[in-house]
Amino acid sequence: MSQFRVAGKGRVDTGRPVTFTFDGKSYKGVQGDTVASALLANGVHLMGRSFKYHRPRGAVAAGSEEPNALVGTRRGKGRFEPNTRATVQEIWQGLETTSQNKYPSLKWDIGAVNDAAYMLFSAGFYYKTFMWPKNFWHKVYEPFIRAAAGLGVSPTEEDPDHYASRYLHCDVLIVGAGPSGLAAARAAAVDGLKVVLVDENPEAGGTLLSEPQAQIDGKPAWDWLAAEVEALKGLGVRIMTRTTAIGYYHQNMIGMVEKLTDHLPELPADTPRERMWRVRAGQVVLAQGALEKPLVFHGNDRPGVMLAGSAQTYLNRYGVLVGKKPVVLTAHDSAWYAAFDLADAGARVQAIVDTRDTVREDLLAAAQDRGIKVKLAHTATGTTGRLRVNSLRVNPVKGGTVGDGYTIACDAVLMSGGWTPSLHLFSHTKGSLTWDDDLTTFLPKDTPEDCVIAGASRGLWGIEAVLNDGAEKGREVAAALGKAPATMAYAVEADRPGTGTTHKELPTDRSPGKAKAFVDYQNDVTAKDLRLAVREGMRSIEHVKRYTTNGMATDQGKMSNINGLNIAADALGKKQPQVGLTTFRPPYTPTSFGAFAGYHRGEHFEVTRKTQIDGWAEENGAVFEPVGQWRRAWYFPKAGEDMDAAVRRECVATRKSLGIFDASTLGKIEVKGPDAVEFMNRMYTNPWTKLAPGRCRYGLLCGDDGFIRDDGVIGRLSDDCFHVTTTTGGAARVLNMMEDYLQTEWPDLNVWLTSTTEQWSTVALNGPNAAKLLGGLVEGVELTDETFPHMSCVECTVAGMPARLFRISFTGEIGFEVNVPAPMGRKLWETLWEAGQQYGICAYGTETMHVLRAEKGYIIVGQDTDGTVTPYDAGMGWAVGKNKPDFVGMRGLARPDLVAPGRKQLVGLLTDDQSRLEEGAQIVFDPNQPVPMKMVGHVTSSYHSDAVGRPIALALVEGGHDKMGETVHIPMPDRTIAAKITSTIFVDPENARLKI
Amino acid sequence: MLLIHCPYCEETLPEAEFTYAGQAHVIRPENPSGQTDDQWEEFLFIRANPKGPHYERWRHFHGCGRFFNAVRDTVSDKFLTTYKAGAPRPDLSSLTEGLK
Amino acid sequence: MNAPISSFTPSVLAESAVARVSLAAPCARLSLRARGDLAPLNAALGLTLPTRIGQRAQSGESQALCLGPDEWMLHAPETLAAGMQAACDEVYGTLPHSLVDVSGREVTFVLDGPRAVDLLTLGMPRNPDSIAVGEGRRINFDGVTVLLWRDGETAFRMDVWHSFAPHLLHLLGTGVAELAAEAA
Repeated sequence: MSQFRVAGKGRVDTGRPVTFTFDGKSYKGVQGDTVASALLANGVHLMGRSFKYHRPRGAVAAGSEEPNALVGTRRGKGRFEPNTRATVQEIWQGLETTSQNKYPSLKWDIGAVNDAAYMLFSAGFYYKTFMWPKNFWHKVYEPFIRAAAGLGVSPTEEDPDHYASRYLHCDVLIVGAGPSGLAAARAAAVDGLKVVLVDENPEAGGTLLSEPQAQIDGKPAWDWLAAEVEALKGLGVRIMTRTTAIGYYHQNMIGMVEKLTDHLPELPADTPRERMWRVRAGQVVLAQGALEKPLVFHGNDRPGVMLAGSAQTYLNRYGVLVGKKPVVLTAHDSAWYAAFDLADAGARVQAIVDTRDTVREDLLAAAQDRGIKVKLAHTATGTTGRLRVNSLRVNPVKGGTVGDGYTIACDAVLMSGGWTPSLHLFSHTKGSLTWDDDLTTFLPKDTPEDCVIAGASRGLWGIEAVLNDGAEKGREVAAALGKAPATMAYAVEADRPGTGTTHKELPTDRSPGKAKAFVDYQNDVTAKDLRLAVREGMRSIEHVKRYTTNGMATDQGKMSNINGLNIAADALGKKQPQVGLTTFRPPYTPTSFGAFAGYHRGEHFEVTRKTQIDGWAEENGAVFEPVGQWRRAWYFPKAGEDMDAAVRRECVATRKSLGIFDASTLGKIEVKGPDAVEFMNRMYTNPWTKLAPGRCRYGLLCGDDGFIRDDGVIGRLSDDCFHVTTTTGGAARVLNMMEDYLQTEWPDLNVWLTSTTEQWSTVALNGPNAAKLLGGLVEGVELTDETFPHMSCVECTVAGMPARLFRISFTGEIGFEVNVPAPMGRKLWETLWEAGQQYGICAYGTETMHVLRAEKGYIIVGQDTDGTVTPYDAGMGWAVGKNKPDFVGMRGLARPDLVAPGRKQLVGLLTDDQSRLEEGAQIVFDPNQPVPMKMVGHVTSSYHSDAVGRPIALALVEGGHDKMGETVHIPMPDRTIAAKITSTIFVDPENARLKI
Repeated sequence: MLLIHCPYCEETLPEAEFTYAGQAHVIRPENPSGQTDDQWEEFLFIRANPKGPHYERWRHFHGCGRFFNAVRDTVSDKFLTTYKAGAPRPDLSSLTEGLK
Repeated sequence: MNAPISSFTPSVLAESAVARVSLAAPCARLSLRARGDLAPLNAALGLTLPTRIGQRAQSGESQALCLGPDEWMLHAPETLAAGMQAACDEVYGTLPHSLVDVSGREVTFVLDGPRAVDLLTLGMPRNPDSIAVGEGRRINFDGVTVLLWRDGETAFRMDVWHSFAPHLLHLLGTGVAELAAEAA
């Protein structure tokens, strides 16, 4: 057995040794150990270096509040986690751990030079030290800070683990499975109430795990605990361990993170590493207990200096003596019991040093029985020992005067500055706090949530008191849920009542300017830093916090907040409640990104919508691009083709013969009802009354501000039914907008909207041979200019499939869009593909579609418009109904700004040097004006055009419609390009090609 | 995440089923073309930004699909009430009475 | 997964000892919108349209789920769809309404097994207890709008638009395996 393991103590299984490594060296622990308890069992206190000064540090606590003992853990490729608290990481066979913030080794660290240069790193050093000279910032200061800053190292490989999340609904959620939480669960588990009891530790019990001496209702604490856990399970209480309540959100929603595999030597299949629980509880009981505070004195951070309660936990829960010659330094009774437990386990307690003048007689007697020296009315003024404490310097204090110091040799200092109720989650609820002068701490007062707080987290002390309080609170919440639970009372023998006093930093006979009395261990903030902050003008505790970084480390000030407040209040000459407490924010303990991401990573990061034809595109080598949530075929390169070559080939083939395009992603809305036409008249800028069934019209949708929102071709299928299409990305937005107007402005209209986007697969055929191909496959209509002219629609049959056929063109060629029920989409596509081989049919993607439409000057909403473009700006005044009484956007179009001259208007651009412009490039009128130039517009679309024989572009230009033929300039990094303003229609302005 | 009572479904449900839809009781004029520029500006752009009870619209998007109105306290983030579209604006004093 | 969900034959898609996800056979799906006195439509459809959101009605193999104050989803055997359409068209003059065939729009996943309810908690923010057996709701599942029909304590149907189906199936499949590992 390891040197510091005590036979017969602890809840660990000494019959099951576990080997792990720390900084490459192998250590033996036992099943049930944490990294910290196992290292301490081996006599290792030095576990890390501090963040700023690189001072040697050891574990100061035994739980999740640990600020110092942060390690990296590794489990093969990709599974590396920095900043894991050694006090909570359970060991397993083969676990690899490493210390942090050290180079080249933990024992010999170069960064420790910072410790000697500590004058540079005092409060606010970020703001002061690195300010001058200015040009040093990039070259010297920033690289230095970046090299020195940060805890641990970020993982560099992709995390192979799986993370999960679930929602959970319960009547009562109890946070903390210590005595008060257990009692609350017992009381609340009545009459079918769904009760969930959650604890961050691997097992329930809380403080009972560290106090086996107690006798609860006549049973030894651990026997009582085991029986109680079984009883609760029998009552249907769900007990969730290794699960941390990280945040308390509105209306009793609590975020919890469950760790499922970090303690296991083998990773089970299909099991997530962590799971985020989003819990909605009817009532919440917060029973998070209290956290012990350190005492603030010079050298209080040396490895071996730790909290007395934690030493008691290491002994009673893990069977580990943290030292064989400890000295106890305390301001609270609780540490006396720690001293007794260690003495009874074989440690030679060197002394109990108490800052108070008087202490309870029974404690003095118990110390005397064990032969422990007692020093009352003493302060501590220093420690020695390079990598481990070997002496504590103490001084008597009389009438406020610090007397001569002397040293006590030791191998550990067990300190207690009293206890702070854990108010973190309570504070998340925006609960109000009240200052308690006797306890010198904040206690919970009111909360807007359905929440009560129980036990030590509301300032109670002793197992009997918190058990009975828990039971009372459990009854309270059950009653609030309409139940009538029985009352319960617990009697505890060998309980350990206690009180204490609270300090700012301990008085010293040293120069306070030289003292390194740490308040926040993780951020290396000392009492001196806090006083300096106040001296330099910080008045608000929030400013003091930010200036010094006190409480801003990953432990979120669990140990340092109240000590920091006491010191700041003293420096300000105010009472603590006048200074106030900084805000606790979620998460309660550091939480992995994986837990927040849950399932939403990799392929499941977000929805990727695919059409029914997507598979064909993939099999035929398509390159895809995302459009909204959809992925769409972008272009179809043949062997050796780059994007430009593929797109040019697709464009030429379509204009020459026949192109086929998957347009299924277009939004589709069925507008149906007696008032359908009235609704369309009010919604779209165009007039619809005279559109006959069987005909289509291009529709333009504006907002009430007059700006273009969306567009699409709309077919009237019957008097009362319109088939509306929208842009791919705008489908959901447009339907929402229409529903908004219909439900709230025009509820009297008898018309309904149904999304049919996914009801239909839509295949577009374009090119001189489109009608020839389709004509042989269509039943129910003859495809001639007379029987089915451009802008017609019909319900018919295509290749035996029920179809809605539209004769429309987004290319300027003869064009059709065939809609068939979605699942038939691929069959339709393949049928057309086969039949189209005789015409050299060419599949094209969105890029070719963009080029072909730009050649015709058809806009893409969101590319050629940006939310500030009116139909008139876009040159589409023809789409605005002039004789309608109203439509959405009509009044907006008459706004002063929208009718003023000088608006940016959509025009075509042809570059003088025939170069292709960059989309987004800014435009100026005078290229010789001084910088900054007046920008008068930008390029919205730009492509190479084979049909035109040169690159073409669309652009928004100030007053562009009146500047046809004029030259504008596009300054680029290397040169300025001149371009002529032209019409937006580059190909076939007479629309001759639309004729069959 | 808030809990929101849908006045159509008559159920109190997680916020994730709902979408926000701006200030309530902003009524589109019967005859927009008869509006002055100032009136139209008021309708389009000018919104209350109260610290306290705010009349606003929500839509039960992943549910019944209805737009409805609500009064939410922007300080506490609590809903004081929700009511159907078209129902009159509830009296604030009756809503804030029972509050802490 | 490349092939669209509609190309799958109805079968079990994911299964473990505790939960199962299968694809239901295709059926006719009609979105019905109407308000006022529903008697003519009730007569045309041969069932009484429920008027409380979440309620269902059934007649033979046809089912109706009330989704909103003026909205229902009708499921029926594919062979009956045309007849239902025609019958409703008959009463359009007396009770104008909107009946839209959305059979091609979506697929149905059948979720069952002892932990089917827990499977839903992977993506559903709402309390599963709020949907009684024999009812249904339109809900948010992993950010996607779906219809959920509760056919039994641990038996559900989930109607999903095609393009969202692979995404949700991925999550459901993960959950089916995860729940089994948890039970092991």
